[in-house]
Amino acid sequence: MSTQTVESGAAGHGAEPRGKRDDDGQATYLIAIAEALWEEMERDERVYMLGEDIGVYGGAFKVTEGFIDRFGPDRVMDTPIAEETIVGMAVGSAMEGLRPVAEFQYADFMSSGFDEITTVLSRYHYRAGVPLPVVLRAPSGGGVRASSFHSINPEPWYAYAGGIKIMCPAFPSDAKGLLKSAVRDDNPSMFLEHKWIYRRIKEQVPTEPDFLVPISSAAVKREGTDVSVITYGAMVHKALEAAESLAQRGVSAEVVDLRTVYPYDEETVLRSIEKTAHALVLYESYRFLGIGSEVAAMIAEKAFEHLDAPVVRLAPPNVPVPFSPPLEDAFLPQVADIEAAVDRLAAW
Amino acid sequence: MPRAAWLLRPPGPVPYDAANAAMHRLAERRLAGEIPDTLILLEHPPVFTAGRRAKDDELLWDPASVQARGGIVRKIDRGGSFTFHGPGQLVGYPIIDLGTTPDAGGYLRRLEDVVIGACAELGVSVDRRAEVQTGVWHGDDKVCAIGVRLLRARVTLHGFALNCDTDLSWFAGIVACGLPDRGVTSLSELTGRAIRVEAVRPSVERAFASRFDVAFEDAPDEIVEAFTVAADVA
Amino acid sequence: MTSIQMPQLGETIVEGTILKWLKHEGDAVVRDEALFEISTDKVDTEVPSPVAGTVTKILVDEGATVPVGTIVMEVAEEGAPAVAAAPVAPAPAGAAAADAPPAPAAEPVGVVVASSIPAPAAPVSQPAHVAASVPDRGPRSQILSPLVRRLAREHSLDLGQIAGTGTGGRITKNDVLAVIASGGTTAAPAVVTATAPDLGTAEPAAPPAAAAQPIQLGVGDEAVPMTHIRRAIAEHMLASTQATARAWTLVEVNVDHLVRLRERVKDDFERKHGVKLTYLPMVVRATVDALQAFPDVNARLDGENIVRHRLVNMGIAVSYDAGLIVPVIKGADGMNTVGVARAIADLAARARAHQLTPDEVQGATFTITNPGPYGSVASVPIINQPNVGILSFDAIVKRAVVVDDAIAIRSMVNISMSWDHRVIDGELATRFLARVRQNLETWDFAEDLGL
Repeated sequence: MSTQTVESGAAGHGAEPRGKRDDDGQATYLIAIAEALWEEMERDERVYMLGEDIGVYGGAFKVTEGFIDRFGPDRVMDTPIAEETIVGMAVGSAMEGLRPVAEFQYADFMSSGFDEITTVLSRYHYRAGVPLPVVLRAPSGGGVRASSFHSINPEPWYAYAGGIKIMCPAFPSDAKGLLKSAVRDDNPSMFLEHKWIYRRIKEQVPTEPDFLVPISSAAVKREGTDVSVITYGAMVHKALEAAESLAQRGVSAEVVDLRTVYPYDEETVLRSIEKTAHALVLYESYRFLGIGSEVAAMIAEKAFEHLDAPVVRLAPPNVPVPFSPPLEDAFLPQVADIEAAVDRLAAW
Repeated sequence: MPRAAWLLRPPGPVPYDAANAAMHRLAERRLAGEIPDTLILLEHPPVFTAGRRAKDDELLWDPASVQARGGIVRKIDRGGSFTFHGPGQLVGYPIIDLGTTPDAGGYLRRLEDVVIGACAELGVSVDRRAEVQTGVWHGDDKVCAIGVRLLRARVTLHGFALNCDTDLSWFAGIVACGLPDRGVTSLSELTGRAIRVEAVRPSVERAFASRFDVAFEDAPDEIVEAFTVAADVA
Repeated sequence: MTSIQMPQLGETIVEGTILKWLKHEGDAVVRDEALFEISTDKVDTEVPSPVAGTVTKILVDEGATVPVGTIVMEVAEEGAPAVAAAPVAPAPAGAAAADAPPAPAAEPVGVVVASSIPAPAAPVSQPAHVAASVPDRGPRSQILSPLVRRLAREHSLDLGQIAGTGTGGRITKNDVLAVIASGGTTAAPAVVTATAPDLGTAEPAAPPAAAAQPIQLGVGDEAVPMTHIRRAIAEHMLASTQATARAWTLVEVNVDHLVRLRERVKDDFERKHGVKLTYLPMVVRATVDALQAFPDVNARLDGENIVRHRLVNMGIAVSYDAGLIVPVIKGADGMNTVGVARAIADLAARARAHQLTPDEVQGATFTITNPGPYGSVASVPIINQPNVGILSFDAIVKRAVVVDDAIAIRSMVNISMSWDHRVIDGELATRFLARVRQNLETWDFAEDLGL
């Protein structure tokens, strides 16, 4: 029970502390994100944060725990429960030269600020010629038994708006490097943190103050020759687990982590398809009109003559994320589903 | 999802020439796409048919003897050598479109499967002897002859002849299937009880539908009548 | 022309007997009409015509038993001329056109236009052609993926000869790659004949453009496709070596006084004229004079005639990121050393910026290459066709030389020429080079530098 509470977040009461790096220097995704924010706040005093319960309480997932003590309430600003206002404040202050980082307790609630995000934030630079260096941070994704209001993957909605860079990292180092890049970027960006990864995945994370991961660059997380699994977010970890199991059976899967989903790195995807000739596009946003739909279409357009089999998508159906654990497991692509899909592709 | 197919069961012994002509007409219509795949199941009056590989000396009786016994001899357009059709033998003529890249070998194996499956339903264990010849065998004895032709390299003609309670003495008149050292048998002989065509036909229909993935419906009356009418003319 | 094969009626049927020809040479046939009857060990059938047309050839006797796939008859399609052809389907027309090198423009061999010409578009894949030749080896054997089609096209493979190991008999990428890796080609590669223009000689054998041979890569090897420019250079260089009767002569030149002169005036020169003073303009000037003295060296061969050029357009070989290019100093015979220096600086700069116009890399009557800056002391260049000579100016080095029976240290340079023995003989080549040497050793370039 306690594990579920931690994973699904605990706005306002009882969330576990963020924790610290291990003795051997390994950091969780949660810690890596906090480090990125801390370092950028230290580096540039125009950077400030706003959001619900981020100050005194330290954030629903404790990402900003302790920040208010160091940077004060003017730069770690608690707001009312009013997402549209949070976005509006971020936009207005960015117009005046600040570099706001707004936190949403759950990515699901960003839609309460939908109009400000999609009609103001995404277009203002075009309309007025004024850059908006705004970062919107939000925990997204399912698999943590948090039901349909705390589990969604909203990246397709906001990618569709155009004008907003959207990152969905899978590893602590990528999360840290990408978030720092986002804060330094003059364009509006959305940084979606997968809560299944928060405390589960840890690794050695660079400590150099200028460690950055370029936006819109994908990474091959595992080399393979038979089938390319193009994915991002928590699905990267499922794909890697499946690839390991497939390797035992002699099937070599390559795992491409998009890291940034809009605009994404087509070249790395295409290079992988040229190598394997088989594409499985795996994603946690809904199958219909999801991020992977675009990737699949791009592969079909640009790598047609490199394909030895149809491009296959594996993604959840367009239904609410179920609360029942067996149903949620059936809803999300599982390791066995990925293995089966790769097997079918390899044998096509 | 099985494909719809026609099943034709023209009644009574159907004279060979009539059936042969009707079968060829149906195959032409199948090739033209006018009708679905079709299985014709019938019996013939006694007839020796000679395929293209049949040698004259493989008919051991002279024509007069054949006629005296009430039989006829016909040279026909299938491959293979001599065989016999007559009462007590279930003859199947599948009219199947094998498509532009026909797999004739595969088709013959499927026919064998149908007969093997039907016999199994009747409790008779038979098998193929691919190393010897197409057909269905019990040991060294053939219980079902198979001979096929393709119309324009895609639609099947002729088919199989399963001895149920056939009068096997007729086979003394030919070197059956060109194999002098092999014998012929029937389901009745194998089981020691009379197994009539009517008893075997439902099993063959089921096995055929299953193996060819078709769902049978009865052919329109005028199609069946073509056999009867032709029979009258003949 | 459509070739009719002994059909494949299933994987276990390997041969068939022609029972009867139903159509004979000269007979008209409609599509799907029976052409002949065959018998196999499993079934008999008639073989229908895939096209409407006229039977032009019967290749097998009645009663003959031939393997599946054997071409037994040819039918000229309706509307096509009924000409008997070799019993092999012609290569798809697109293949030759696409694999052919870009048509050599009317420019000298060895000269490459720097403007980026897009590679010819890949031929449209020809699914019908490919699919028609693939026998049924299983329910999915007729499915040819885009990749399999492309590999077959690029490597001139006949997919009908490849047994698919994929599900349902499908030919997979790995099946095709295995054939390629085993060195197997299933069809002759399309050979493209490229004709070098204006050679006035027998056509050189052009290299086959389509590399049907598989690339054998060892550990650590990397295969890099040739660029458009690289391929053009390769073709032009090979064409030149095949078209010319190349000989080579070298002279040693004492440039001691030129070195001293350059050291003395180079700063003034650059200040006054805006370009650096190098030795190359001086070599050009000395060569122009020699070309005017020996016009057979400033010439080209045209059929039975030697065309002498009164004017000198001096090609200067320039290396740049994409390869090699030879911009031309037009009217070099009318320039002093300053003019040549400026022209070289301008052309070289624009060559490296990919800004030359096609006109500026055409029309050289003679060519100079200058590998000296990289330290080479003697080079054997390939003649820049249709020139009959190319002069190489290598590195100036201090050497111990005998001067008036004493050993002295002098700045020396080797100047050599590759020349076309079809036009030039050894004596002429040597006298020409002697003139260049004499010019460089005796001229006082100071008065030519505008200082």
